[in-house]
Amino acid sequence: MILKILKKDLKVDFADKRGILLTLLLPIILITLFAFSFGGVGRKKRAPSPTTLLVVDQDSSKTSQDFIAQLDSLNTLRLISKQETEAVELVQKGKNVAALVFGKGFEEAVSNGGRLPLEIKYDVARELETQMVLAVVRGRIMHSFGDIKALSKVNVRMNSVIKETTDKPNPGLVQAVAGTAIMMLLFSVAAIGGGMLDEKESGTLKRLLISPIKPIHILLGKMGAAMVVSVVQLTFMFVFAWLAFGLPIFMDTTSLILLILCISFAVSSFGVFLVSTVKTRQQLNGMSTIIIILMSAIGGSMIPISMMPAFMQDMAIFSVNYWGIQGFFDIFWRQLPLLEIVPKMLILLAIGVGMTLISIQLFKRNIVRLE
Amino acid sequence: MIQVTNLSKSFANTKAVDDINFEIKKGEIFGLLGPNGAGKSTILNMMSTILKIDSGAISIDGLDVKPNSKESKQLIGVVPQEISLYEELSAYENLLFWGNLYGIPSKELKERINSTLELIGLSDRKKDLIKTYSGGMKRRINIAAALLHDPKILLMDEPTVGIDPQSRNRIFEVVETLNKQGMTIVYTTHYMEEVERLCNRIAIIDSGKIIAQGTQSELQELVNVKENVQLEFDFLSEDQVASLRKSLSYPMIQKEKTLIIESTIKELSGIIAACNQLGLMINDIQLQKVNLETIFLSLTGKQLRD
Repeated sequence: MILKILKKDLKVDFADKRGILLTLLLPIILITLFAFSFGGVGRKKRAPSPTTLLVVDQDSSKTSQDFIAQLDSLNTLRLISKQETEAVELVQKGKNVAALVFGKGFEEAVSNGGRLPLEIKYDVARELETQMVLAVVRGRIMHSFGDIKALSKVNVRMNSVIKETTDKPNPGLVQAVAGTAIMMLLFSVAAIGGGMLDEKESGTLKRLLISPIKPIHILLGKMGAAMVVSVVQLTFMFVFAWLAFGLPIFMDTTSLILLILCISFAVSSFGVFLVSTVKTRQQLNGMSTIIIILMSAIGGSMIPISMMPAFMQDMAIFSVNYWGIQGFFDIFWRQLPLLEIVPKMLILLAIGVGMTLISIQLFKRNIVRLE
Repeated sequence: MIQVTNLSKSFANTKAVDDINFEIKKGEIFGLLGPNGAGKSTILNMMSTILKIDSGAISIDGLDVKPNSKESKQLIGVVPQEISLYEELSAYENLLFWGNLYGIPSKELKERINSTLELIGLSDRKKDLIKTYSGGMKRRINIAAALLHDPKILLMDEPTVGIDPQSRNRIFEVVETLNKQGMTIVYTTHYMEEVERLCNRIAIIDSGKIIAQGTQSELQELVNVKENVQLEFDFLSEDQVASLRKSLSYPMIQKEKTLIIESTIKELSGIIAACNQLGLMINDIQLQKVNLETIFLSLTGKQLRD
């Protein structure tokens, strides 16, 4: 009897081949993703991906230029030369990890064995990455200017370009709240998308199609409901973070409200995209888990984006999580004005519009068709 | 009212509807009778414009549905085979939602909901959630949802599936009331009793084709099956049969101790009297009526519920 139940269950489960494929694909994708994240791919130890470091050469001497060339030749760093103001702005906006400033008198200090006028301008929120960069710079100084005996002389002055003030939250808190909120939102919206399959299975979708309502209106109605739920959920999460952890949600209310709306739109379009892609609940479960985990991993919901290899950081731009998290960092940590955050909001809106347009086509093909 | 001309529909390599033609007059209850998978729901789905027509045409009230799906939707109400209601909403909320999709003004819609609930006999339960309803009650709300926009034609796709005889009777009463009010009804089923009770005219469908259509008496004339009385005796000699033939004018066949007499129930008393006169001892009497089941069997060689 047990065997009969077992055989029947396997037959039923394996009847949905696409669903089974997605179930098998999920762990493979996760293994691959984390293997890349933790540098475990390949039999040999993989060379670390280079970190982009901005360089400001105020000394403009042969020694400083030679040293910059040496740093640039390292596999771990990729140097970009900038003026100090621009470099600071790029770091402030979160575009680069840090800027290494070679002050005037660098060449002289090297030849006299004096204290090197080196300063690193960085973002405290990315201290870990900065320390890794700094370790490479220090090592190279020791290697290049071996006659500098005292280690204290190669101390690089660290100067955060974003000042920590009492009204600013801990960057770790911003990461935790923003990252988790968006990831959980994606799961909620995927569940709402499942409601469309319920409508199909129960026959209410058929009745909707019989009525004078246009199929696209059914889809947009579902998306609207998902968006309302998303706005409520995100607001609830931020209010909780304010009450429980003191996240200053009233710091820039306009930007926060607009960003919540943009994220909710992008996420709800993702919900309808998911449900338009699949035909069964098993497929929905597999597909949603894969895409949500993938987007959350590369987008910085699970691991801070700065901890990931460069190519994965490049991929992050395809994730809703990335633009949302960076937007929240802009508001709470970088405290950028609304105009500076608008491009991220526009990208979220563009993602939403793109996914909605694709969903409309897929919805007609996969959900509406009775054949 | 409805004209279906050379209608065909295929799914992959299967021809679900194969070049069918029929006409439904205003105020008729037209039955589409056939086994599961015969193509009845496919025809209804094309009539309700949610399924594309491969070839042929459907005209409703003079309107070709293919290019005029929006207008056609206002003319027809559809009762789907599935109970297409939201279980978490009350009957009233469900009807309000479905009615709103047809753009009925709020006040008018509320009046229609109340009168429709009255018609189906569920006014007192309107605030209860659908999930608390019995199967039969859900079926009645399923019908009500199709009536709110006051359609001229009601398409009913197996509206009594899975319910008890009492609930079925309530639905029959609703159908009859609607028809008396002048509504044209297309009724699909694989229960011949329903068609026999409700329908003025019937189309018998099998494997996507209409194999016969007309009133029930017209269909009976089509097939060479007659109503008969079967009598089983203790003993039956050829002389006794010959004597019976002389006293009764009906055609009869003897099969050992059984006599099959081609006649109706009305003549049964006369047949029994004739048998008594000859001293024949009747062990069993069976009346074989000619119904749609018999007609379907005769036309297709299959049972309706095959």
